[in-house]
Amino acid sequence: MSTPADDVGKQLLAMLPVLRRFALSLTRSADKADDLVQSACERALASADRYEPGTRFDAWMFRIMRNLWIDRLRREKVAGPMDDIDDRSNIVGVSGEQVIEARSEMSSVSDAIAALPDEQREVLMLTCVEDMPYREVADMLGIPIGTVMSRLARARRRLAEATGITGDGARSSVQQGKRP
Amino acid sequence: MTGQQFDDEILMAFADGELDEATTGAVERAMETDDDLALRVALFMETRARAREAMAPMLDQPVPEALRRSIEDMVARHGGGDTQTAEVVAFRPAANDRRPSIARSRWIAPIAASTVAVLAGVAGYWLGSASPARQDAGLAVAGLSVNGLPAALDSTPSGEEIVLAGSDARFRAIATFEDGDGRLCREFEVDMPSQATLVSVACRQAGDWTVSFVVVAASGADGYAPASSLDALDAYLSAIGAGEPLDDDDEREALSAIR
Repeated sequence: MSTPADDVGKQLLAMLPVLRRFALSLTRSADKADDLVQSACERALASADRYEPGTRFDAWMFRIMRNLWIDRLRREKVAGPMDDIDDRSNIVGVSGEQVIEARSEMSSVSDAIAALPDEQREVLMLTCVEDMPYREVADMLGIPIGTVMSRLARARRRLAEATGITGDGARSSVQQGKRP
Repeated sequence: MTGQQFDDEILMAFADGELDEATTGAVERAMETDDDLALRVALFMETRARAREAMAPMLDQPVPEALRRSIEDMVARHGGGDTQTAEVVAFRPAANDRRPSIARSRWIAPIAASTVAVLAGVAGYWLGSASPARQDAGLAVAGLSVNGLPAALDSTPSGEEIVLAGSDARFRAIATFEDGDGRLCREFEVDMPSQATLVSVACRQAGDWTVSFVVVAASGADGYAPASSLDALDAYLSAIGAGEPLDDDDEREALSAIR
């Protein structure tokens, strides 16, 4: 006898920690994240009948949250550094010039992540921080897996450039990755 | 030389453990003789590790109490207060498309842990008090009740199975451990006469056993809980900072200390 809003409500409460993680990775600020979680939950409850039972609830919520956040950014016109970096060609490793540049104004990893275009940061957060497989990220964002990979590769090259990561340090500290 | 045949995305997928076996093998062989290639792979490994290191602490903050209350109120407003009487949510097996070759996603864990947290929050039962009637005290979950559980938790060594006093339920003690706060906890399963299996954790609190986690699983023919409920359990155990299971001697000592 439960209504769609009951079901959605239960799931919202159950996955609140996950929702807040999503929100934090989008907003990178605790206050904004809490606001976003609230708005997204309101929206989800109000449009509960649009959730198809049996589909991924987390993906549905993530899309709601992401759309709200993008709207908000547009409204407030506070969008961070955008798109120009996104279309850089495949830069393999780091060139000499870039090393000098990076050394002189090397950013912290979190600043560099904050400076990424939103769509690159989002795949970086979901794969590298949340450990989601590419396939799940693609399903959740509703984009092809190839797009996930190209955004992710760009995000990581960008991160490496901005912070001076060369891969040298990883050989000893990061063993074998996590091959199957 | 051989470096040209792998583009960045292949090397990244290799670093992330997302490549099929054949390509993984090819990359491995090439890396043995190509330092440049190895360096490019390492770049992807290092960016992953550093991103995680930088961002995980922020994401791992607990949900603020004010936010939780606010969402609870919101849900109650929309759902007519149904949250107070929510029945136990059966833990459904994860979708079949979960990739067996990838280490379990951290993503799954918070979802599972929060689901069971709701179970615990909704149920929140005490396993009897220190009254003379303690032996009759039971556990009631979604209409199922289990008699004799406190006594069974007190005395059954892990690995043993007993029939609970005053019921037809079979109790299996699985393990004894301490949680992150140093409380003594026991993981156990109960096969109900109704064919359901409870996968549960009880911890000592204020001198009694409190059930802090329970998943009700429809058991298979062998009476054991399906693996999906164990995923939820694993997630819960890591959420409470469960330590390694005590060995037999330590368990005996810990249990005799509480009696």
